[in-house]
Amino acid sequence: MVRLQLDPFLNELTSMFEHTTEKGSVWVTLKHCKFVLCSFCFPDFEFVALATFVFQDIDCKFVNYSPASDKSKVQRNKMTTAGKELEYKCLVRATDGKKNISTLVGTKDHQRFQASYATILKARMTSLKKREKKDKRKAADADKKQVVSKKRSTTAKP
Amino acid sequence: MVYLTSWDDFVERSVQLFRASPEKTRYAMKYRHSEGKLILKVTDDKECLKFKTDQAQDAKKMEKLNNIFFTLMARGPETDITEVTGKEQTETHPSRKGRGRKQ
Repeated sequence: MVRLQLDPFLNELTSMFEHTTEKGSVWVTLKHCKFVLCSFCFPDFEFVALATFVFQDIDCKFVNYSPASDKSKVQRNKMTTAGKELEYKCLVRATDGKKNISTLVGTKDHQRFQASYATILKARMTSLKKREKKDKRKAADADKKQVVSKKRSTTAKP
Repeated sequence: MVYLTSWDDFVERSVQLFRASPEKTRYAMKYRHSEGKLILKVTDDKECLKFKTDQAQDAKKMEKLNNIFFTLMARGPETDITEVTGKEQTETHPSRKGRGRKQ
């Protein structure tokens, strides 16, 4: 699983859609995560489902963790108070069956991300059927013409 | 696997499912361009709701559902969803007023 930033993720997602035009599928999964703001850093370490905490390199401060020092105790205290501050994130995963990519969308970024994501889907989901709309419009127009012709025939009679 | 036929029913039940168990619920989408099919799945690993379609109009409806889920997942399960639809309305109104005043 490759963890990417928002824009590279969107670029990779676009290329997945391009590669699967003739065969293959694109799966995109969204999941809610709670993110704990802390001063510990676990590089590329992820807890999902059980603990529902996600640690990410960039959002955590890089601090050396040494159990015996006083600094770590202060950090632990900070963590317990900071642990109450929860930030919600949305984990987005995508795959084309071969390659897996993922990204975390935070509260501030979600509107920008969902706009870009919607643009990609609109541009790429072109093989879905549109005929029923036209058939409905044709049927509606045909009904209107019948109603108009009936009205003319009824007015002409007397 | 439960395939629902009504879109509105699918949306309502999937939002309820997410609010009931936000930690476990996931929203998955599968798109096959070769067959022109779109399948949506919302599950909390106990209950599963699915929606299958090949219609372009459902893709537009799915975008609204995506917005709902992004808002719920990024802001928290207790977020008011009416903001999502309310924002769309408030975005259109000021622009109309602006044009009127400028004239």
